[in-house]
Amino acid sequence: MANKFTDKSRRNDRLAEVFIRIGGIMVIISVVWILVMISKVALPLFYSPSAKNAANVKIPAAIGAGKVLAIGSDENQLGILVLDESGTFHFLKASDGSLSASIKVPAIPSGSLRVESAEYVGKSAYNLLWDNGAISSVAIELTSSKDKAGVVTLTHDVTAKDDLTFADGVGIKRSFARVIEGKGTVRVDQLTSGTLRVAHQIVEKGLLGNEKRNNTNTEINSPLPGRLSAVTVDSKGHYLYAGTDNGWLLRWDISEPGNVNLLESTPASENRQAITSLAMVLGDVSVAVGDASGTLTTWFPIKVAGSGEDRRLTKIHTLRPNQKNISSIIPSPRDKTLLSLSDAEIHVDHMTSERNLLTIRTASPAVIAALSPKGNSLVALDGNNTLTLWKMDIPHPEISFGTLFGKVWYEGYDKPEYAWQSSAANDDFEPKLSLVPLVFGTIKATLFAMLFAAPLALLGALYTSQFMSPKLKGRVKPVVEIMAAIPSVVIGFLAGLWLAPLIDKSVLTIFLSIVIVPFMLLFTIFFWKRIKTASLLQRATRGHEFVAMIPVVILGIYLAFLLSGFAEVNMFAGDFKQWLFSTLGVRYDQRNSIIIAIALGFAVIPIIFTIAEDAISNVPRNLTAASLALGASRWQTAWRVVLPSALPGVFSAVMIGFGRAIGETMIVLMATGNTPILSWSLFNGLRSLSANIAVEIPEAPLNSSLYRVLFLSAVLLFIFTFIINTGAEALRQRFRKKYGRY
Amino acid sequence: MKLFWKTGEPYVLATGAALAIILVMSLTLVGVVMTNGLGYFWPKALVKYELKDGSTALGQITQQEKNPISGICRFQLKVANRDVLGQDFRWIDEKEISKSSQPAEAVLLERREHGNYFGFLQGVTAEGLSLTGATPYDKLIEARKLVSGKLDDTRKIKKQMSDLNNSAEGLRLKIQKLEYKGSEQNAAAISELTAVREKKMSEFTRLNEQATVTLAEIGKITAQMTDVAGGNKDISLTEIVALQRPNSMSFFAKCGAYIERVRELLLDDPRESNTEGGLFPAIFGTVMMVLLMSVFSLPFGVIAAIYLREYARDGLMTRMVRIAVNNLAGVPSIVYGVFGLGFFVYGIGGSLDSLFFPERLPTPTFGTGGILWSSLTLALLTVPVVIVATEESLASIPKGIREGSLALGATKFQTLTKILLPMATPGIMTGLILSMARAAGEVAPLMIVGVVKLAPTLPFDMNFPFFHMDRKFMHLGFHIYDVGFQSPNVEAAKPMVFVTTMLLLAIVVLASSTAIYLRNRMRSKYTTSTF
Repeated sequence: MANKFTDKSRRNDRLAEVFIRIGGIMVIISVVWILVMISKVALPLFYSPSAKNAANVKIPAAIGAGKVLAIGSDENQLGILVLDESGTFHFLKASDGSLSASIKVPAIPSGSLRVESAEYVGKSAYNLLWDNGAISSVAIELTSSKDKAGVVTLTHDVTAKDDLTFADGVGIKRSFARVIEGKGTVRVDQLTSGTLRVAHQIVEKGLLGNEKRNNTNTEINSPLPGRLSAVTVDSKGHYLYAGTDNGWLLRWDISEPGNVNLLESTPASENRQAITSLAMVLGDVSVAVGDASGTLTTWFPIKVAGSGEDRRLTKIHTLRPNQKNISSIIPSPRDKTLLSLSDAEIHVDHMTSERNLLTIRTASPAVIAALSPKGNSLVALDGNNTLTLWKMDIPHPEISFGTLFGKVWYEGYDKPEYAWQSSAANDDFEPKLSLVPLVFGTIKATLFAMLFAAPLALLGALYTSQFMSPKLKGRVKPVVEIMAAIPSVVIGFLAGLWLAPLIDKSVLTIFLSIVIVPFMLLFTIFFWKRIKTASLLQRATRGHEFVAMIPVVILGIYLAFLLSGFAEVNMFAGDFKQWLFSTLGVRYDQRNSIIIAIALGFAVIPIIFTIAEDAISNVPRNLTAASLALGASRWQTAWRVVLPSALPGVFSAVMIGFGRAIGETMIVLMATGNTPILSWSLFNGLRSLSANIAVEIPEAPLNSSLYRVLFLSAVLLFIFTFIINTGAEALRQRFRKKYGRY
Repeated sequence: MKLFWKTGEPYVLATGAALAIILVMSLTLVGVVMTNGLGYFWPKALVKYELKDGSTALGQITQQEKNPISGICRFQLKVANRDVLGQDFRWIDEKEISKSSQPAEAVLLERREHGNYFGFLQGVTAEGLSLTGATPYDKLIEARKLVSGKLDDTRKIKKQMSDLNNSAEGLRLKIQKLEYKGSEQNAAAISELTAVREKKMSEFTRLNEQATVTLAEIGKITAQMTDVAGGNKDISLTEIVALQRPNSMSFFAKCGAYIERVRELLLDDPRESNTEGGLFPAIFGTVMMVLLMSVFSLPFGVIAAIYLREYARDGLMTRMVRIAVNNLAGVPSIVYGVFGLGFFVYGIGGSLDSLFFPERLPTPTFGTGGILWSSLTLALLTVPVVIVATEESLASIPKGIREGSLALGATKFQTLTKILLPMATPGIMTGLILSMARAAGEVAPLMIVGVVKLAPTLPFDMNFPFFHMDRKFMHLGFHIYDVGFQSPNVEAAKPMVFVTTMLLLAIVVLASSTAIYLRNRMRSKYTTSTF
């Protein structure tokens, strides 16, 4: 029986040991797990894009030898569409190239026989230019599904859109027709004679609902610097861009009917390479320019010094050069990605990040290529009538190391900048996700807070451990520990809604306090000697000096407050903030870095204080005793003997405080305006990494670039605090070893 | 004097001053919160100002400010009547005032909507009620008493309605599940459940009509008010939450009103998007989340501490665990929130949804923030607090006690459970309380993993399975952030935020003081002074 009991106890003991060991190791695992899980979400930002060949299909002979004008594909890489000269859309199955259906374009303009050219105008719509100069618009629908047995079904539809016929005539090489919202249509024809013609049709609705069509026709007759080699028009029909064979880039304003205005002409390259293709990047701000040497650049108008309010086209981004001349540029319908065709290569680049995403090699040079409406499949036709289909997987084209940490030249900006702006009201907005302003904000907040907190906390800790009477120490230490427990949301709230308006009323008080409080202290110290000579007081005050200091500090701040009112009236014309702005050009935010320094400092003071106090108190008492016995004063002992010994511990206290300040979220969130700006000014707000996460993550769609970038900033915070905390802990462990107390 | 400087006494004073500044700051914080928070409920006098331009204003003085240049005072007056005046506050210059008085008959009405109403009671329209009161004010109080019974009835009906609604919702989910499994096979069951559900819904509609009728009946009884400018307004009795005449209240009446307001704060639901009314759901949510959290963090923390102190040998492993503990304590709380979102909410929650609730997708059940994920996230965050406190208490137990137990033949585990843990209980309690205080005050990670501004239901109720782990909840700390910084009328909401802040601060300070007291008592019990 007893044996059984012993066995059971032993078994339990062993079991418990295993269990407890696992529990201990779980702590390490959870730290690693946190890092792994958040990195796992952030990592796909840097996955390299891929294009997987999905199908190679020969155009069936049944379609005939007619010229292919446009191609396209669906989202699942199962169907391909081909438009031929006769105006027929053919739908092919990607798996075997079999013809699923051929549909003639509906509503063919009268007298039209043959399609001259087709332009993809986005949202699955094509504008067809007929041989008699008429233009018609069609919308295509191509979707596919695959059932369980793997049988592919294509559903397709061809519908006529608005009629764009209004100016016809022969001798048109290419034509661009655009609907001007609520006004009518504009059409730009590139004539075989080498000139351009702009035609507007403005529809005016009369009071009785009768329509009046107003046609204007303008031929661009002004001599061009060279022969036209590429033309494009933005999707709203406001600007016309053209390139010449001697490298000039021209821009016209065509928004006013009957008034075509050449805005500017700029050489696109140093050595005047012929411009071979032009395309508008999504959003209609940038124009992509490809030339005969294979250089691909994007341009948009910016304010140039000396030109006043005028905006001039400027080369903004230079993407990775192609080997040979660029035959065609295809903008992505989803983002600022550009495809450029050059010989047997297709380059996929992202404009803003200047990232070369992919280089797809084809067997023979591609003649036409097209992206699906969601941009995830690419189809190309080569000279041998072979169609090649790729599945594109480009997870986060706009994110690169450069865009996260470097200056980026965004559309609409006059120079490259560090910018954080994750969302806006309009659809074609490009998120600006630079982490630099956030890292800067974090460092700024932390630095100011530490400048405020570290001296106070360390001096306070030195006083508490070395000079304070033990009885009082037992009371003050818990007070500071309770201070550590004050929730940061409480501190943030008071900083944002109580302190900020208070300081806003009298900014000068802060600055004057910095001068007056030390002055008052000096004053007190000067008289201290006198007061102390009374022997009774001397005994009472030793170890209680700080109590006497409390009224001095309060009095000092009050005096500063009184003086600040006086100073503001007499020196700054009654309004210090106005003076700041008009004289120094400094903007004053109500929630600024002073508030942050005080609030965040207040939050880390107890942490630094407690650890530093522990470290100083842990210096063996015999050292102190020896020093005092040798006749050193208590200050000399503390400063020359105790502090040097406790230095590693004190240093680790500051580091831990630093780590806390970096990650503090609520205070920064509530006490700053959360403006992501790069400014060291004391009077401006900031946005820190942590507050940014709190602000943005509820709005970030799952697995979007923003979502992953926020996880990446969490990883940064983790790693940063990990290094600091581990360093501090290593220091502390060494310190403990030295004195063997713990 | 020279000696005075040489011995460094001035420096000692300087360090003392640093400590003084720290203490002054802490006391200021507590003082500001207390004065603003405690004063909110005290019935303030309604002051009537007659201005020089002939207009009048009635309100409570909330702030007073002196212009540094002209030396003229100006008052911030809470004039209420938001629906009439458009704003709650107005500034009045001292020199504009020609006469000020405190009319005894001025009435303060707390309304369900549009905040308070300050004005004068003219009469009560009460069809079908015979009121005997002499003054309109007495009549109003009498009418309120008479209808309170009816209001209780409607409250009961509302309760029944919400129960019906809950069971109907449960049935809807059941039907959904059956339909997902195959509507043909389960057709019989589905139609049966649908019939039951429709019966409940019709009962619901009937009750709803009944409640509407009763409320409309009471709604006919109105208080006829005029504001200080002479504008008339009829306010229905159902709109009035409380009323008082602060200018003619005695000190004890004011005390009574104060206590009533505190009761309302602790036990009632919030009104006017949290800026008025009570805090009960927020208090409940905080408490439940904290308790749930300690269920996870306490065992984990205690075991890890036992490992560190009793089982681990000094070596690389122990050092790594220590570094890990320090990092758990030092990693920013927002990172925990991000981890919770990625791992608990979308990771585990998403998988649970696709395994157990596929029929409800894409509406997430566990795949969205909730009280379970919040408490798990916070458990991870507070584990280091438990570890440090437990370890310290284990360390303070003299070695002799362990050796004694082992020498008597007890195994290590027996020593642990029978001797060490009971002795270390105060220390463990310290850790537990400190971790609870930390969790109660932590907001940043909760904002990501499950706290909401206004939760329609509590995470615990009388409907099966009682604890609803997937529900979102309200939290005192988030309440502060949300009402103080996200509400449209921050100035009017400020007093409420101060009250919440005071409550949270009181909870946290009380908890930490208890913990620190326990720990210090434990320390002094075992440690002997060496010098």
